[in-house]
Amino acid sequence: MKILCLIRQVPDAEARVKAKNGLVDLEGATLALDGMDEYGVEQALRINTDGANTVAVALGGARFEDAIRRALAMGLERAIHVESSEHLDVVTQAKILAKIVQEEQPDLVFCGGQHADSDSQALGAALAEALNWNQITWTTALEIENSSVKATHDVDDGKEQLELELPLVITTQQGLNEPRYPTLPNIMKAKKKEIRKASLADYGVAGGKVRVVKQEIQDKQRLNKLIDGKDPTAAAEELIKLLHVEAKVI
Amino acid sequence: MFDYFKILENLKPEERDIHTMVREFVDAEIIPQVGDWWDEGTLPRNLTTKMGELGILGPTTPEEYGGSGVSSTAYGLICYELERGDSGIRSTASVQGSLVMYPIYAYGSEEQKKKYLPELAAGRMVGCFGLTESDGGSDPGAMRTRATKDGTDYVLNGSKMWITNSPIADIAVVWAKDDDGIIRGFIVPTDTRGFSAPKIKNKMSLRASVTGEIVLEDVRVPASSLLPGSKGLKSPLGCLTQARYGIAWGALGALESVLSTTLEYTKSRTTFGKPIAGRQLVQHKLVTMATQHSLGLMMAYHLGQNKDAGTMNYAQVSMAKRNNVRVALEGARMARELHGGNGITTEYPIIRHMLNLETVDTYEGTHDIHTLIVGRDLTGLNALE
Repeated sequence: MKILCLIRQVPDAEARVKAKNGLVDLEGATLALDGMDEYGVEQALRINTDGANTVAVALGGARFEDAIRRALAMGLERAIHVESSEHLDVVTQAKILAKIVQEEQPDLVFCGGQHADSDSQALGAALAEALNWNQITWTTALEIENSSVKATHDVDDGKEQLELELPLVITTQQGLNEPRYPTLPNIMKAKKKEIRKASLADYGVAGGKVRVVKQEIQDKQRLNKLIDGKDPTAAAEELIKLLHVEAKVI
Repeated sequence: MFDYFKILENLKPEERDIHTMVREFVDAEIIPQVGDWWDEGTLPRNLTTKMGELGILGPTTPEEYGGSGVSSTAYGLICYELERGDSGIRSTASVQGSLVMYPIYAYGSEEQKKKYLPELAAGRMVGCFGLTESDGGSDPGAMRTRATKDGTDYVLNGSKMWITNSPIADIAVVWAKDDDGIIRGFIVPTDTRGFSAPKIKNKMSLRASVTGEIVLEDVRVPASSLLPGSKGLKSPLGCLTQARYGIAWGALGALESVLSTTLEYTKSRTTFGKPIAGRQLVQHKLVTMATQHSLGLMMAYHLGQNKDAGTMNYAQVSMAKRNNVRVALEGARMARELHGGNGITTEYPIIRHMLNLETVDTYEGTHDIHTLIVGRDLTGLNALE
């Protein structure tokens, strides 16, 4: 089976991001492969355990190379990097990526469920639309038999199980797997793997349709919610509910 | 990483990737648990296997023998990150890579290299290094352990002290004087009759690392156990140069840990209505720690560049080990002071690093011995003997 993994480079979860002249300034920030994309890379390597026929596809600036090397060091076979530092809206990105999918003819495309930097969840859906393929979003479990895919994915009120035929776009969700560390021998081997470079012009695109006017850092205010502790059981239940439903941390 | 002078930007991409991977591993798999291991005085055996699976044991060893042939700078960064977790864990990796795999690679036969190096690199086999004896580690040439030729075999007798990993090791690289009084190295499987390795108990330092003796009572090994290329004191000392190189990087990892913990602590701890980090005396200590870390890192970085270029000499290694461990120890003591009472509990990593560094300052050549090695190199006059 041939698998494409879309990957992005985003600020590390602990990176301090600042705004400069009305735009986010990533100078000096630690960047890393988006954790949601990493689930896709890991899943591809669990399907094709020797890494054969697995391709990382990245659309972004020169600094994306770190994320590409990470995906190759985890075990993907080769990479395609469409290098552009322009801001591209998701629909334009999907058009370019769809052309790569048509060139490569994979059976499966993995895409991170949500971008760690912009919080956008649209890329997988936009790509499926551009390809006119089926998609499974927020996937937490996956089983493939011949051309049939059984998947469990998150929906608003719980989980849903689906059975679909390949080809598919699958977007990832936390819990799909536990990504591996790139081992040191694989880091060294990744140096020799192919990274094919391309430009927007190669895909007939001049730029995006959305222009970023201004970005600012959001200051999160504390909610200062107090729970009445007279009934400890009820208080604990309320706390768990708030942490689960509102804060979404458990 | 605390990298005030942006040393990391000079690294090759794969060196940065190796550093990132090991840092993530230490954050996820070591730091959350090492305090408990230290308190209990244990180190899980499977940690060595995990390090082997990641390929960080003896990583400079060529690929054909199970290593990855990485640069010395990458090896230094691995030591840095492991010791940011705990000096005992870095010690385990140092012993395996620099003191067991290195002598087998440098002085061993092709058969020995093929038999042992891949197993050691994968962490399936644990090794230890028996040089120091109880009469004093600073004068290894005065060792009493003997290897007597008997037919085609050697019979080893003697004892070794302060041996990292000896109670859990599968093989020991043992140094002994032959019938001509020449120091030779032997690979001794620890299940050989007459070999025992009692554990040293009640350590208040490097508790997340197993230390023992080696007792050799008529231990008979075939001639094929001899490391054929080993001859004279320079052979074990060559191994120590490798290990000391890793320590010069590693100690700075411990210094980063105490510095970053102290920065957080002093910014949140208030006295008289103000964080103590806003006090001049506190800032002086923080700046001293940060400056010493930066100076030490520049020295370690250049040492690595020289090592890979083949221009490093042992006196440079002595200077870097001597300086970087001492500034880390002094930094840990300052951090301990700034943490007040919290600095004496293992709830914080401070006292653990401080006590560990007391050992690191002593082993692999004491601070004073390195002073005399560098002193001899500078003056041409030997104050060691």
